[in-house]
Amino acid sequence: MENETAQASYVDGYASGLLGIATVEGEGIVDEIYSAALAINGHAELIDTLADSRVPTERKQGIIDELLAARASKVTVAAITFLIAAGQARHLDEIAKRLAYLAAEAEGEVVAEVRAPLELDADQIDRLTAALSKATGLRVQVKVIVDPSVIGGVVTKVGDTVLDGSVQNRFTELREQWG
Amino acid sequence: MLMNLSLNVILATEATTTSTEESGGIALLLPAPEELIAGLIAFVIIFMVVWKFALPALNQTLEARQNEIKARLESAEKSKEEAATLLSDYQAQVAGAKDEAAQIVADARDSGEAVKADIESRAEAEADTIKERGHEEVVAERDRVAADLRRQVADLSIDVAERVVVSNLDTEAQRALVDQYIDELGGVQ
Repeated sequence: MENETAQASYVDGYASGLLGIATVEGEGIVDEIYSAALAINGHAELIDTLADSRVPTERKQGIIDELLAARASKVTVAAITFLIAAGQARHLDEIAKRLAYLAAEAEGEVVAEVRAPLELDADQIDRLTAALSKATGLRVQVKVIVDPSVIGGVVTKVGDTVLDGSVQNRFTELREQWG
Repeated sequence: MLMNLSLNVILATEATTTSTEESGGIALLLPAPEELIAGLIAFVIIFMVVWKFALPALNQTLEARQNEIKARLESAEKSKEEAATLLSDYQAQVAGAKDEAAQIVADARDSGEAVKADIESRAEAEADTIKERGHEEVVAERDRVAADLRRQVADLSIDVAERVVVSNLDTEAQRALVDQYIDELGGVQ
């Protein structure tokens, strides 16, 4: 319990620090860190390697460069590398979500975590943002996570509310109705 | 003394007899007066002795005997009466016992009939319960099997449908589903 409280404090501290950097570097940094952190978090084996204290820091930095250099800014790569070097590999997703929450809160918005099997285009994101804002009555900031485990459709989480529009969920509901 | 007196009477009698034989006729039949007197005196003496001593003892003996017999008769009568009373009591008891036995038999018969009826009633009720329960169990089992079968068929059908849908989900279909989701979400108030 005490460790959990301490870890929550660490998560909050790292997120606040990253928010300060993002404020200076631009809002896109938050999205990049968020996407990169959740993408890394989706691979358990990669997380195990990055969290392993026996693996040299240089090796871990090499892995991050290899994965993110072509897809993200240097600031994002540096931020992720810093968090892993600080021993927060297993908490990347928590820190990224907290960062997104703080960034959205700073702008009077809430984060909508959107999981989809493919990248959404700008039009879809705009329409989704508008639809979620209308449905929740809040100003929503959409964070898209490409998740191949989502089969058809989209799963959105706003706070504690989950709006599951995946084909998988529809079949599950169908099974429950027939069961 | 009585013996001597008797001897004298006999001697006198013989003497008289001798005298009579000598006189002949009716005189032969009549005793001599002295013999008659002596015999009379002897008779009186003997009579008095008997009257004075033997008769009371005899009377006493007879009376005792009579009393004894009377007592025995009374005792016998009493015993007879007691026997009759005992016989009557015995007969009454036997009759009572017979009545009681008859009542016990009748009670036992009634009780047996009641127990028999109760057992039959219970057995019948239990049989009905078992029958009803069996019927309910059969119906429940049938419904359960039908529900299982229906669920299995539904699961199988949904699995097949899911596989078909998933296998046909190309990028265009995925985008169409995302658009459909956004449209449905936009319609929620």
